[in-house]
Amino acid sequence: MNQRAMYSQSFTIKGGDFINAGTVSVRIKRLLKEIGLKPDIIYRAAICCYEAEMNVVMYANEATLDFTITVENITVKLSDKGPGIKNIELAMKEGYSTATEKMREMGFGAGMGLPNIKNNADVFEIESEIAKGTIISFKINLNGKH
Amino acid sequence: MLLKEIKELLKCNWYSSEELLNKEIQYCFAADLMSDVLRYGRTGSLLMTGLTSNQILQVAEILDLSGIIFVRGKKPDENIIATAELRKIPLLSTNLLLFDSCGILYAQGLRGGKSNLMENDEPKSNVQSIVHD
Repeated sequence: MNQRAMYSQSFTIKGGDFINAGTVSVRIKRLLKEIGLKPDIIYRAAICCYEAEMNVVMYANEATLDFTITVENITVKLSDKGPGIKNIELAMKEGYSTATEKMREMGFGAGMGLPNIKNNADVFEIESEIAKGTIISFKINLNGKH
Repeated sequence: MLLKEIKELLKCNWYSSEELLNKEIQYCFAADLMSDVLRYGRTGSLLMTGLTSNQILQVAEILDLSGIIFVRGKKPDENIIATAELRKIPLLSTNLLLFDSCGILYAQGLRGGKSNLMENDEPKSNVQSIVHD
């Protein structure tokens, strides 16, 4: 199997920057569209990226998003510096959230971000260290049914 | 149904160039929570919402929304209007409430459509989680 990267790029996301929040995901989405991937692949990848990006903006100090496309899949790895997640099992539960009032006013913090990434990705991994940060990785297969 | 017909039905103000109102609308989605739009919204839908935060345009682009109608008399700010025009996302607003707006469009035959996720089988994600204390 050929796992050679066809394209890869890294982005920096700043925590607390609600003005530019989402711009990295929109750039990735436009890129996937230009490449000409199937609409449902683009849709699922864009949602995963956006949810993950908003998590960084809402909870972390900053993060690096590494984005790679191979002939087989789209891989995204998001490593943040931040408080980490105390209880991943709870964080993965729909409806659980530690969002502030400000985040809720913007229409977020319903406790659906991580579960939504899990639902849209073919592979999802999360690793967290308290007071250091969280690493989220997900893959979306380019072929085959989700 | 064309967006300009919806504009008449809901007595909307609009903030986009008129050519954008000639879009054909196939599905609608209504929510005040962006998380719900991202979780349940169908790509290409017309979004009805009372939320005017700037994130609405990012969500619109992620989901290829056909347009946004702000309900309950909510109005987008100038930055949102300018960015939406650049991205060709039509913006409208109505004084009607969300329930009434949806009811009028439903009575005219518009439907919500299934969300993209609901069309799929149960997701088969492999979830691995590790916490370091």
